[in-house]
Amino acid sequence: MPEILINGQKFEAEAGQTVLEAARAAGIFVPTFCWHPQLSTAGNCRMCLVEVEGRGLDIACNMPVSAGMRVLTDSPEVRAHRRAILQFITLNHPVDCGICDKAGECSLQDYHYAYNGEASISAEPKVRSTKYYNLSSRILLDNERCILCLRCTRFTHEISKSMALGVESRGDVSVIRPVADRPLGDDPYSDNIVDLCPVGALQSRQFLHKTRVWYLEPTPSVCPGCARGCSVNIWHRKPEWHVKTLDPAQNQSIARVTPLENPAVNGPWICNKGRDLARIFERRRATEPMLQGSPVALETALERARELIGAARHPLALVSNWGSNEELDAFQRSLGAVFTAYVKSDSVPQPGERLEDELLIRADKNPNSAAARALYADAPARLPEGTDLVLVWGEGCDFGALPRGARLIFLNAYLAPENGHADVFLPTSVQTERDGHYTNFQGVISGFHACFAKPSGALDAEALFRSLAAPARVHA
Amino acid sequence: MKSLLKEFEALRARFPAGFESSLVLPCLRRIQEERGYVADGDIEELAAFLGVPAIQVEEVLSFYTQFRRRPVGRWHLQVCRNVSCSMRGAEGLVGHLERRLGVAPGATTPDGRFTLSTVECLGSCGTAPALMLNDRYVENLTPESVDALLQELD
Amino acid sequence: MAGRQLLMNFPVTANSHTLAEYRARGGYTAIAKALREMKPQQITQEVVAAGLQGRGGASFPTGRKWQVVVPGDGQPHYLIANADEGEPGTFKDRWILENAPHLLVEGMLLTAYALDARHCFIYIRGEFDLPYRRIAGAVEEAYAARWLGEQIAGSGFSCDLIVYRGAGAYVAGEASGLISSLEGKKGYPRNRPPRLTVRGLYQRPTVVNNVESLANVTGIIRDGAAAFRAVGTEKSPGTRLISVSGHVNRPGVYEVELGFPWRRFIDEDCGGVLGGRAIKAVVPGGISSKVLTGAEIALLALSHEALWDVNSTLGSGGMIVIAEGTCMVHLLQIMLRFYHHESCGQCTPCRHGTGWMHRIVDRIVAGEGRPEDIERLYYVAKYNDGTTICGLGDAAGFAAAGILDKFRDEFEYCIEHKRSRYEGRIECLRS
Repeated sequence: MPEILINGQKFEAEAGQTVLEAARAAGIFVPTFCWHPQLSTAGNCRMCLVEVEGRGLDIACNMPVSAGMRVLTDSPEVRAHRRAILQFITLNHPVDCGICDKAGECSLQDYHYAYNGEASISAEPKVRSTKYYNLSSRILLDNERCILCLRCTRFTHEISKSMALGVESRGDVSVIRPVADRPLGDDPYSDNIVDLCPVGALQSRQFLHKTRVWYLEPTPSVCPGCARGCSVNIWHRKPEWHVKTLDPAQNQSIARVTPLENPAVNGPWICNKGRDLARIFERRRATEPMLQGSPVALETALERARELIGAARHPLALVSNWGSNEELDAFQRSLGAVFTAYVKSDSVPQPGERLEDELLIRADKNPNSAAARALYADAPARLPEGTDLVLVWGEGCDFGALPRGARLIFLNAYLAPENGHADVFLPTSVQTERDGHYTNFQGVISGFHACFAKPSGALDAEALFRSLAAPARVHA
Repeated sequence: MKSLLKEFEALRARFPAGFESSLVLPCLRRIQEERGYVADGDIEELAAFLGVPAIQVEEVLSFYTQFRRRPVGRWHLQVCRNVSCSMRGAEGLVGHLERRLGVAPGATTPDGRFTLSTVECLGSCGTAPALMLNDRYVENLTPESVDALLQELD
Repeated sequence: MAGRQLLMNFPVTANSHTLAEYRARGGYTAIAKALREMKPQQITQEVVAAGLQGRGGASFPTGRKWQVVVPGDGQPHYLIANADEGEPGTFKDRWILENAPHLLVEGMLLTAYALDARHCFIYIRGEFDLPYRRIAGAVEEAYAARWLGEQIAGSGFSCDLIVYRGAGAYVAGEASGLISSLEGKKGYPRNRPPRLTVRGLYQRPTVVNNVESLANVTGIIRDGAAAFRAVGTEKSPGTRLISVSGHVNRPGVYEVELGFPWRRFIDEDCGGVLGGRAIKAVVPGGISSKVLTGAEIALLALSHEALWDVNSTLGSGGMIVIAEGTCMVHLLQIMLRFYHHESCGQCTPCRHGTGWMHRIVDRIVAGEGRPEDIERLYYVAKYNDGTTICGLGDAAGFAAAGILDKFRDEFEYCIEHKRSRYEGRIECLRS
């Protein structure tokens, strides 16, 4: 445990640590652009220059700690050099924050205000470059904003291993470019580079010019895209910035999804499917209870369902592996004794979707199979003959394979043709409208929180199960 | 590239095990010598042959000034205009060649015979001014010797 | 002749580069003796004792660099001869490659033996054609004569040598950029630590030495450290190959005993300045070394310590003599264009700083200079010094600050009058 001095204060550093790591561990912030804890050390931005007494300036990210070293992170020399580095970076940078999506969460902006504050001292025309380079169908590259920190190239070489990005040319006309034959579009983790980019060079097409980040707030959630259950932040408009005119749907929609760092599950990354949760949750919703396709009052539908349950001799339930731990528990407590229950997979791999890899993506495309399977077995290929009632909870049911003649109670959140074929249809809420937990394939439990209010008419499955467990009223 | 595979195998055998990546530069040089430039298809083939990422080959091609992705004229004149050569008349010589060939540096004559380029230091400062004619150095140039050189070239 | 000679001590003829003639001059006796009589450590000790300083530019003691590598530590070691001679004004390694290639091969064999390196490389700049053919030919000859390959001279020592051609990048002459290039990648230099002698080529301990440094090893082992130290000065033992260009009557490569009077060398060996003009300035060791005025060199000796005393360096031995009447603004413009063109673009200060300085001086030359330009050039130079991954950024700053320090009035004149005091003239043709 080497003892080092940072700005005159003694700290115990760990052997093998860099000065940057030791400083950050001690709560002393040293600014960086290129450094990232999950990537190899590039040491190219030079923003983390610190002074070591007796040795002069060097970059903290590549400087091993040694006992007794005296580091200054805020000396006049260090401050002058930081200012100069920012002068170099902004020399050819367009400073077009006004039209840049990164504004508000941009390291360059933050450091400029913290460490420079001065306009460019250069009078030279800026080096122009490609303003809109099509990296993939998901990502645009603005080479003028790029500061060549090479986080994105390192990500594709070291983390996603698509080797999709590199640097073309050299000097101040160097540009990030994708390899011709293996476009970044094939990399299911590509959007992480948008988060990794410390400036506004890499832009998500989904998010492009959609909103200002300071109008948004994140709600912690869990990606339901596969059994990994990556922790994510779902970004949506802050209540105080809800729009009243123009497009009020924005108030209820996912602006973007970013990883929420979770060392136990996903580290700082998620895959592109996790970015596209709006595609899952923002499909057209079912909001009306129905009896054989005819809208009815909720109480009527519930009563009819209770009757069917009370009358059934061999009731069977197909339980959703998108149900939260709380919902599964509610089902088991309320209806577990009544139904013979099996686990149904709500979602299966789609054509072209990566099945599985060593980074994050799992073959099971459902978030809570582990918890569901702890209670019930997987549904057999052929359901038992003689079943006279089936309760289907969630999507992914092969209705043609249900026992013939059995009655059907169907709980679904989305509009679907099958909704109208059920004897009783009950509309449910989705993950972004309630709190809950999923158990991932490793047994790690992660929680999600409500971002939006339920549409009127939709119900939480948890409440529905309790309500269905009440005895049916006796008909007159 | 196919015709060079045997040669590349022999080259690989000369290097220590695990040095496949090192072969990128020498293989590209041979491809360029044969074809006159490196074609897009060569990149993927070479990357697959050596087991290196294709992006590495693309980076190398764009980083080093001697590699080219497009053909040049039959005679490529690369005139040094760095300090020592300029101190001995290189700047005037470039102007002279521009007038004689009717093209600016970076361009090829319409008949495809000559490409004129300017380069930085060829390490020929003691025999300045100098140029590279394809692979060969031509040194101690004067406008007269350049005229004589152009006469010789078909 | 500028003092005693250690390398250019034979007449250059059509065949003097061949193995036969090299053998006739006593070639390959040093390696034969070493393999017979010396342990690897003794070679290193001898080179340390000789005080040989690197001839590539940094003048770091060659033997001390080797001492970091531990022979027999169970991992491969590599030796690389840096023949990527690209520092403007420098063409002396080319002389060795063309005329004494076996001297380099033998020096590398001795070094490889000292370092326990089974595989050696000569990284030669891609533009060099004749030098490549000569050194590649010498390597083939050495293999045929079994001076390379398995069990050399009947000893247990085996060594392979590969000649590797660059493809046009100044930065690949920087040792770590060279290693990136030799790994088949773009020539990005690497941050230290780790030192290359700890983790270099493919992460293995690697020594990168300049061609001339390695060529000197042969003589040091053949004749002993004392003989080497007997030449030159105490702080600068031996000789340097100086490549002279610019406004002199007889440019070329000269071997100069360190400590030899500078003016005498220019006046006698190099035949003086073209047209008998006065010396305005001299770039002492490649354009990355700080320029000296004619007055400054008048009484100076050619030695490392003499140059350090005047805040410059013998660098790569690339001496450019600049005659009175030359426009230093235009000269700096060419230098900065070079650094701008050759910056690899990896780290911030150099990527932007070289271009920034280049554009400022371009503007001054075009008659659009502003009073603050000089301070701006100093600013960029200052913040490129010591802030970059490799020395290229520093060097661009040195070149600029070096010229500004001594010829500031020319820049002020150019800014004020919108034209050069010397009409931009830098040429001085052969009379």
